Amino acid sequence: MEQFLLAMATFCSVAGIAATAVLLTRERRATLRLRRQNTALRADLDARDQEVRHLAGTRLPELLESLHNPAVTVSGPLHDARRLGPVYEQGIDAAMELVAGSVERVRARADQSAKSALRGAMRSVQSLAGEQQLVLSNMQDRHDDPDTLSDLLRLDHMNAQLGRRAQATAVLCGSWPGQQRAASTLSDVVRGATSRIRDYLRVEVHSPVNAAVTARAVEPVVLTVAELLDNAARHSQPDTAVEVNVRNTHNGIAIMIDDAGVAMDTEEIQHATRLLSGERAADVHGLGDPPQVGFAVAGVLAARYGFTVSVDTRSPYGGVRAVVFLPSELLTDVPEEPRAPEAAAVASGAAQARRAPAEPPDFEAPLDPSAPTTAGGLPKRTRASAAGKAAPGPGGPPPETGGPPVRPARATAAGLGAWQRGTRSGRAAPPPDSERKDPRP
Amino acid sequence: MRPPRDERALVRPHVVTGGRAHPSRNVFDLVTLVIAVSDRTTGLNPEQRRIVTLCRGGALSVAEIAGHLRLPVGVARVLLSDLMDSGHVTTRAPAPSARPPRLQLLQEVLDGLRARL
Repeated sequence: MEQFLLAMATFCSVAGIAATAVLLTRERRATLRLRRQNTALRADLDARDQEVRHLAGTRLPELLESLHNPAVTVSGPLHDARRLGPVYEQGIDAAMELVAGSVERVRARADQSAKSALRGAMRSVQSLAGEQQLVLSNMQDRHDDPDTLSDLLRLDHMNAQLGRRAQATAVLCGSWPGQQRAASTLSDVVRGATSRIRDYLRVEVHSPVNAAVTARAVEPVVLTVAELLDNAARHSQPDTAVEVNVRNTHNGIAIMIDDAGVAMDTEEIQHATRLLSGERAADVHGLGDPPQVGFAVAGVLAARYGFTVSVDTRSPYGGVRAVVFLPSELLTDVPEEPRAPEAAAVASGAAQARRAPAEPPDFEAPLDPSAPTTAGGLPKRTRASAAGKAAPGPGGPPPETGGPPVRPARATAAGLGAWQRGTRSGRAAPPPDSERKDPRP
Repeated sequence: MRPPRDERALVRPHVVTGGRAHPSRNVFDLVTLVIAVSDRTTGLNPEQRRIVTLCRGGALSVAEIAGHLRLPVGVARVLLSDLMDSGHVTTRAPAPSARPPRLQLLQEVLDGLRARL
């Protein structure tokens, strides 16, 4: 009996030991597995932490920088998608896109509102400068005293610069150049541009080309040339000249502006070429301080009106050569002079008798209704012949004029004669300052 | 004088005269007659060329020249003074104030006086 009990106890303990061993082994295996899993999860967590730190510290700042400066590249994630899991990866990408999109939208909206505010302000400055120019022109007509005129010319010059600055900024903000003009010769276009810059006395214009710019392109070309001239004068010594040459080419005309200043380096040329191409819409935020609008305005206008501007050649004087190329579509024939001075004399000269040279000029000559008149409807007299201009004989019929004269010739003659007699008698008894009197009638 | 301009000139007067408002000589008033004496137009600016063309072979007053060029009279004076200095134009005395009475009229007066005396 005792033996049986002993055997039973031994068996039980062996079985227990065996069971414990099995359990222990399983437990140990499970622990090992969990530990491995834990390590892996910790590594994943570290990777995600790193990734988030990378996103906040590197990728987002790079992304924001790249929106201002296209040269900056945005770095990718530190770990690959397999490691991070597709959901996490997509989340990070979505966040990047959202930030980029919202920054772009905010920028676009800010640019739009800045532009429209600036445009409105510049338009009113522009129209005030225009009105002021009219007033100045009328004052220049009325005030004859050289000192007054000198001041008026200086005011006119400053006003022209003011108008140009306002106009350039308005164009950059998407406005039109503004003023309608008649087709003008290239020489007038270049000199019109010269009128609007500070150092206009340094500009030498050589324009042997006899062509004109079509009406719609006059103001844009004038503004472009003015900006380029201003750049050229600003970036060269005050005692050097800025030379403008106009050349015919086989499908257009090139206006070349050479300065004797400092040449641009490669990077500046690339930047200028990018602006002048007009590809990128002008951005009022990127103009710098003080704002450099010249090339940007030229680029906008060139793209809009179909001419080209380049600054990538060197001038023979060491500075920059800016070339404005106007294609044939923007050119036209030279507009007729407002009057042909020869025509009137030839037309009425045929049936006329000679007079003695001492006779007064043709006060009795009939008025030619085709002769030009002033805006007020008064006839403009054409020149009188020095060698005794012919006039119709006392009894001879007046030359065929094709219509009634504007005013009886005798009345005109009497009026002009009275005027001259008055001037003479006035001058016969001169007050000491009679020369400086305002000649207003 | 001239009616107010309705359009703004492209080339401003300060460029036309190079900023000068004082003529180099003081011989031009509104009715001074100007005659071109030279046909050379090389070296002249477009406005001066037009003056020479306008006055070529004829006389035109300063006021009329300014009117044709659509420039202020003061500016035309500066241009004319330069042209006179360079020998392109000259001035002519204004026309006599009144024409001499006709011979026939004088004869009639004389006859009338004789008849009375």
